[in-house]
Amino acid sequence: MRVWLRMHAHACADSLRRLFAQPLASTFSVIVLAVAISLPVLAAVALRSVGTITAGFETDPHVNVYLALDASDEDARRVGDALRAHREATSVRFVSRAQALEELKATTHLAELLASLDRNPLPHAFTVRVRTADREKLDAARAEWSRLPKVDQVVADFEWSERLSQWVRFGNRLLAMVALFLGAAVAFIVGHLIRLQVVSRREEIEVSQLIGATASDVRRPLLYQGLLEGALAGAAAIAMSWAVALWIGAELRALTPTYASEIKVLFLSIPEGVVVTAAAAALGLAGAWWAVGRQLRRFSPPR
Amino acid sequence: MIQFSAVAKRYPGGHEALRDLTFEVQAGEMVAITGHSGAGKSTLLKVAAGIERASAGTVVVHGQNLGALGETALAILRRRIGFVFQDHKLLFDRNAFANVALPLRIAGLTREEIGRRVRASLDKVGLLAREKAMPVALSGGEQQRLCIARAIVNRPAILIADEPTGNLDSEYARAILDLFASFNQVGVTVLVSTHDEAALGRLGCRRLALAGGALQAAPAQAAHP
Repeated sequence: MRVWLRMHAHACADSLRRLFAQPLASTFSVIVLAVAISLPVLAAVALRSVGTITAGFETDPHVNVYLALDASDEDARRVGDALRAHREATSVRFVSRAQALEELKATTHLAELLASLDRNPLPHAFTVRVRTADREKLDAARAEWSRLPKVDQVVADFEWSERLSQWVRFGNRLLAMVALFLGAAVAFIVGHLIRLQVVSRREEIEVSQLIGATASDVRRPLLYQGLLEGALAGAAAIAMSWAVALWIGAELRALTPTYASEIKVLFLSIPEGVVVTAAAAALGLAGAWWAVGRQLRRFSPPR
Repeated sequence: MIQFSAVAKRYPGGHEALRDLTFEVQAGEMVAITGHSGAGKSTLLKVAAGIERASAGTVVVHGQNLGALGETALAILRRRIGFVFQDHKLLFDRNAFANVALPLRIAGLTREEIGRRVRASLDKVGLLAREKAMPVALSGGEQQRLCIARAIVNRPAILIADEPTGNLDSEYARAILDLFASFNQVGVTVLVSTHDEAALGRLGCRRLALAGGALQAAPAQAAHP
């Protein structure tokens, strides 16, 4: 057991030494790998940042029913009763003209403008949560409601935000694909680097085998090298995309000072960073495994 | 220690390097394999060391039937046999110390243990002062001794040397053979090949004469054992 641990320590130290023995080549290969890894990381950061914007919107199926401006409180009560009685409505919230005006004054900078108006331009309105997002049932309900007396407009304005969240879902799926392809690229790049290592160390490998190195003895330091390159690249990718995210975040704030409060760049958490690094290391290991196996078979061990 | 029974070795391509070879080397014995180049000496030694596998017959080394061993077991058995290669097989990208340390690193010894054994080994071949030298900076004889140091660093019970006196002048060759004789005196089983019987000179060891991959009828015994 102790010998086994020591052999792993030897192999690990050996591959580290090799990385540092060629600092320039190692740096370049790690950067190439890091760029490949940072692309999906950045895409994930972008998607989740957009996701937070849509999370602020109501995407629950709901419909706004606006009454005509001349509708009386009595008219509103009657419409409210009709809506509440409808089979598709789960809840109905009434927003009176005065209430709507107060809300508008409180949440925007239009108070002065609104105060200058001689009468309230806003109608009575209802927000109706509906049971279904099914298009046909919804259209039927909308048609029914727009025929109620004194109803001016029936608007299902959650549609566009729903569409946005569909785009985000689509983006997530695209991200998964891109991550898959670039992950494979990382494995292949590491595999290629390891293959070069095997070729350049061919003599050492052959002599080692002659004097008693087993296949796993030969494989061990190379696998560690793949693992290390992958892990280093993963860490570098996180650092790189973090820098990019910081920069883009700053640019966004400069571009959109007034309503930027909603647009926030959400970077990976520390556990997620660890997962990305571990995944990169695993990819490096897989690439190394593949390459070493291939090359060693090609050498045809002594018989 | 080493038993060959009806061993043959055929290379792909049809060349028959060894045929129907039967002999035994006792533990603690020193045996010289003689014969012209191409007689099959190198093949015999490689088969005995588990570097190449016999095509037919059985080879038993350290009590193990090599033909029955898998690649990994065979590799591990090779660690218990010191082999001095005809072409040295030194690694030119590292110094003398690291070359000798290679088998110990493969075996997974501690750094201290490696340092101690490598220096002891270099000392035995008279290269202790050159541990930092790169192999290119060493003379042919020194490279030969470095290869011997690597072969004995694992303290093998069997030491096999393929033409260790090949390109050396006769005086140097004698010194190398004396070195092997001294290992043999402390109990190591030694198997040495040479195409130059004169170099064996006064060395009183058993000789196996090889020709065309087969043992010659009467193995010549040393004049005075």
